[in-house]
Amino acid sequence: MQQAIDIIKSSGKRASEQFNRNKLHASVLAACLSVRSPEGEAEMTAKSVCDAIAIWLATKPEVTSADLRRKATETLEKHHPEAAYLYKHHRLVM
Amino acid sequence: MISSLAIVAFAALIHASFQLSVSMLTLLSGHAIGSKTAHAKLLRLTSGFLFGVAVMTMLLISFIALVFQHVFGNTVPLVAWAASCGLLLGLGVAVWAFYYRREQGTSLWLPRSLARYLSERTKATKQSAEAFGLGLSSVIGELIFILAPMVISALILIRLPAFWQLTGIGMYTLISLLSLLIVSSLIGSGHKLSRIQKWREDNKRFLQFAAGSGLLILGFYVYVDQVVSVTAFAYGGH
Repeated sequence: MQQAIDIIKSSGKRASEQFNRNKLHASVLAACLSVRSPEGEAEMTAKSVCDAIAIWLATKPEVTSADLRRKATETLEKHHPEAAYLYKHHRLVM
Repeated sequence: MISSLAIVAFAALIHASFQLSVSMLTLLSGHAIGSKTAHAKLLRLTSGFLFGVAVMTMLLISFIALVFQHVFGNTVPLVAWAASCGLLLGLGVAVWAFYYRREQGTSLWLPRSLARYLSERTKATKQSAEAFGLGLSSVIGELIFILAPMVISALILIRLPAFWQLTGIGMYTLISLLSLLIVSSLIGSGHKLSRIQKWREDNKRFLQFAAGSGLLILGFYVYVDQVVSVTAFAYGGH
């Protein structure tokens, strides 16, 4: 069983929380669906990204949410560059 | 008449180049598509948003024109023209200087707390009525920049006959919606949001330059047309 990993919020204003694979999966899935990726392909991509992130987190007791997003973007870039673009910039649209 | 409507059309085109509503529409569509919303509902949401923007734009320009008509009647004093031109020129420089933030993406001048709030509200929008409200508030959010083209258009419109005032208000609203209509039709026809957003990011400096320059050109033109020429005519008459 994977140990609990603390995700430290980048703003520092909100409390840290434990890594939630479902939350990451949902956000990557939404990014893939947003670029009209078929649902099955989007699910597979989200699963691949979550697996890669789980391996990356295995040796870390805590990471910042910004690092988690950066690493997820890098991984998603390999599978779906357009979804990665939206995932990376979703906070910078306005 | 034609030149008056042309000025109103140009002001509306400058209004259309401002991006807060486009950003909110992009986010709204992104969240809706990302949460597997049916295409028909996506269209209802974007239509609700567009309708909200149209209504608020129409209400604002009508309100400003009504206030001016009560204050000035049909004759606008030179000082009002001069002040409005000053507003246009000042905002033109402000748009050049800080309309977009100096970072990746299409982050606007908005305070980050307000941008986060609008983003969260957009994400939480699930009903057409909420999208309508979001459209209304997006126009209010951009008011600081769209005020100048609206003021100039209102000053122009109050000198026209009633029928042409209504035509001008309708024309202003329609033209100011052009960018939103284009983005919503692209989304509705199945284009990828990433490409739309990438285009916006790649061209943001051009859009910023065009909007700022448009304000400066309009300010300069109206100043020459309504202040300098009238003053010169008055002196020439003596």
